[in-house]
Amino acid sequence: MAEFGKVTPEIVEAIKAATAPNRVYFGADIIEDFSHDEMTIYGKKMPDVVVDATSTEEVSAVMKIAYDNDIPVTPRGAGTGLVGACVPIYGGIVINTTKMNKIESYDLDNFVVHVQCGVLLNDLAEDCTRQGLMYPPDPGEKFATLGGNVSTNAGGMRAVKYGATRDYVRAMTVVLPTGEITKFGSTVSKTSSGYSLLNLMIGSEGTLGIITELTLKIIPAPQETVSLVIPFEKLSDCIATVPKFKINHLNPQALEFMERAIVDVSERYVGKSVYPKALDGVEAGAYLLVTFDGDSKEELDNIIETASELALENEAIDVLVADTPAKIKDAWAARSSFLEAIKSESNWKDGEELIDECDVVVPLNEIAPYVEYVYQVGDKLGLRVESFGHAGDGNLHIYTIGDDKISLADFKASAEQFFDDIYAEAGRRGGLVSGEHAIGSAKMKYLENSVGATQMKIMQEIKKVFDPKMILNPGKVCYKL
Amino acid sequence: MEILVLIKQVPDDSVDIQLDPSTNAPKLDGVTPVTNAFDTYALEMATRFKEANGGTITLATIGDDGAVSSIKECLAVGGDKGFLIKDDSFADSDPAAKGYILSKAAAKLEELNGAKFDIIFAGKEATDFSKDLVPAYLAQELGVPVVSDVIAVDPADGGLLVKQETDTGYNMIDVATPCVLAIQKPDYDPRYPTIKNKMKARKAQVPVLTAADLGTEADKVGAAGSLTKTIGMHAPAKKQAGVKIVPPADVENPIAAATAQAVSIMAEAKVL
Ligand SMILES: Cc1cc2nc3c(=O)[nH]c(=O)nc-3n(C[C@H](O)[C@H](O)[C@H](O)COP(=O)(O)OP(=O)(O)OC[C@H]3O[C@@H](n4cnc5c(N)ncnc54)[C@H](O)[C@@H]3O)c2cc1C
Repeated sequence: MAEFGKVTPEIVEAIKAATAPNRVYFGADIIEDFSHDEMTIYGKKMPDVVVDATSTEEVSAVMKIAYDNDIPVTPRGAGTGLVGACVPIYGGIVINTTKMNKIESYDLDNFVVHVQCGVLLNDLAEDCTRQGLMYPPDPGEKFATLGGNVSTNAGGMRAVKYGATRDYVRAMTVVLPTGEITKFGSTVSKTSSGYSLLNLMIGSEGTLGIITELTLKIIPAPQETVSLVIPFEKLSDCIATVPKFKINHLNPQALEFMERAIVDVSERYVGKSVYPKALDGVEAGAYLLVTFDGDSKEELDNIIETASELALENEAIDVLVADTPAKIKDAWAARSSFLEAIKSESNWKDGEELIDECDVVVPLNEIAPYVEYVYQVGDKLGLRVESFGHAGDGNLHIYTIGDDKISLADFKASAEQFFDDIYAEAGRRGGLVSGEHAIGSAKMKYLENSVGATQMKIMQEIKKVFDPKMILNPGKVCYKL
Repeated sequence: MEILVLIKQVPDDSVDIQLDPSTNAPKLDGVTPVTNAFDTYALEMATRFKEANGGTITLATIGDDGAVSSIKECLAVGGDKGFLIKDDSFADSDPAAKGYILSKAAAKLEELNGAKFDIIFAGKEATDFSKDLVPAYLAQELGVPVVSDVIAVDPADGGLLVKQETDTGYNMIDVATPCVLAIQKPDYDPRYPTIKNKMKARKAQVPVLTAADLGTEADKVGAAGSLTKTIGMHAPAKKQAGVKIVPPADVENPIAAATAQAVSIMAEAKVL
């Protein structure tokens, strides 16, 4: 499909008739936010029309109009993505799902919740907490939609114990690129019923269908949680401790590593200093932030004692305990603000923020040597590099930040050189391109390098079966026009 | 210096607490009990003072057995010993009665410690009912000076030099010891316990002091000893949703357009 259709005034009227006139925005009425996600460096593009959809039927009706007129459609959640996945790079229609924000019902016999796709993660998490329940996936951005989380298979802090979003999706209602409505999966907890189209949808970044309703698995909330802040003098000791928790039968809910430099940046940004910088005269160079959950205080006391012994045997300077809700919140506030904090230190050039990111996942035993390698490459290229990550999953977020002396073009060029090198190195060490932020338009090259032409071709053919006219979120994941 | 730090256990203040319509009392099921945030600031300030000037920190709380966990938490971050003040007759005490009970407790603890307290630290308020009065009543009972909204304290000329936060800045106040200081949030945060201190605190004994131990008089505690009485509780009025101002995308100066919209909304609401 080489040529897309144009959005004419008649088509806008048809969309209004299928939805509601006051929920359809055209031309100059569209706000700039709809042209990008959280990473402007990957480029911006304004859509021709934005529709605030409120039901599956509306999404289907709009999709049919687009299908009949060959107009590209990009589904959009809260626009918090990090790979340009919701940017309508060929213009056309953006279907904004954030008005589909109802938590419909809980089924506590089967431990599932039925939601519309635009419910924010934060709203579901709070609603569950109020009822003694937990929706375990916990990506850093709490104001993303669940549809967006599912479409990127978001991971997050608790993935090390509870798994990623994929593990919590039981069923979904989907509008296909033809406008047909279908349902994948069911409330049941296991299945062996043909190809799992449900799993194909998860992580498909709005390229195969538009998710409108979700049935998500929930669990009873653990009674107690406690976090440990563990300072180390050396990053290598810090990271080398990570696999030891599991070997010693400790099963943390979250296990994050962070370097001193990024903690300093983040605490400056948050305006609160809770991480110890020096203890007994030893300067902290890196930290682990570990959370355990359990059903009683006594159980947790024993766990943190064992975990602390382990950390101290592995050269931790000391172990600090966040044992109250306020202390847990403060310890995690610094961690959760890393991206915003990094952004606050980056410069803008030509309307783009000079910050680029890589979200690789490597085998646990490769984290330490890999991170060392990354810094060497960064140094060689004269780039400022900051890294942190879900250490327990081997998932690293590596950022490079441009200063005011570099131009946009030069920054992009050296960032590309940097990422070409470190993605290749991750591949050599058995890693994959994206742990959880997905591919979008930004990481397609690296996906192709990583999985090879055959797998790219299979993905493209799958895409064609779902989307014969190639109109749904074109230019993403596996298929360039 | 001998230091007493008063603490109170309160429901987690980061949780939005509702009134139970059937009893009209706060619904506290599932809400974690925590040490009052202002008391944790008081303890941190006292601990820094102790580290700089020497001394011992005694902790005391009026509460039920559950409050022992707060004492133990505080023992891990600076407290040297802790006591639970508990008696059925203390139920329904208002701030005046609590001031009286704590004055008797201070005297008893001085007897047990074999030394007089130089400074009594307390949070400026408890985050549950925010009455803001216990430190003042306690000082009145003890006949000692009290300074509210304290954000720093240092020794000076046989007494203390205290920094008090005000709406417009701060006051520097010379105060003689013994005294009561009601602590406001300073510009640092309470420390995290080290695992070693936490394990030590877990094993610590927390003795209980009853009305008999303190020698409190029955008509000065509980409802009988209170000057005020709670007759009912009401949920605060719900805030109305805000108005989002979005200037049209095609205007040349969106900030000016948004400001003009805001001004006209305010004019319409007759606030301008
Ligand atoms: C500060 C910050 C921290 C983060 N931390 C983490 C983290 O720890 N772990 C992690 O995994 N991720 C993290 N992320 C990424 C985050 O998970 C994604 O931004 C989020 O899942 C995207 O949701 P969204 O609603 O904003 O989707 P959008 O950004 O709007 O869209 C993302 C993709 O999903 C598609 N999409 C959205 N809704 C639908 C739908 N209903 N049907 C079909 N396709 C749809 C879009 O077309 C697009 O391809 C972080 C992001 C930020 C900004």
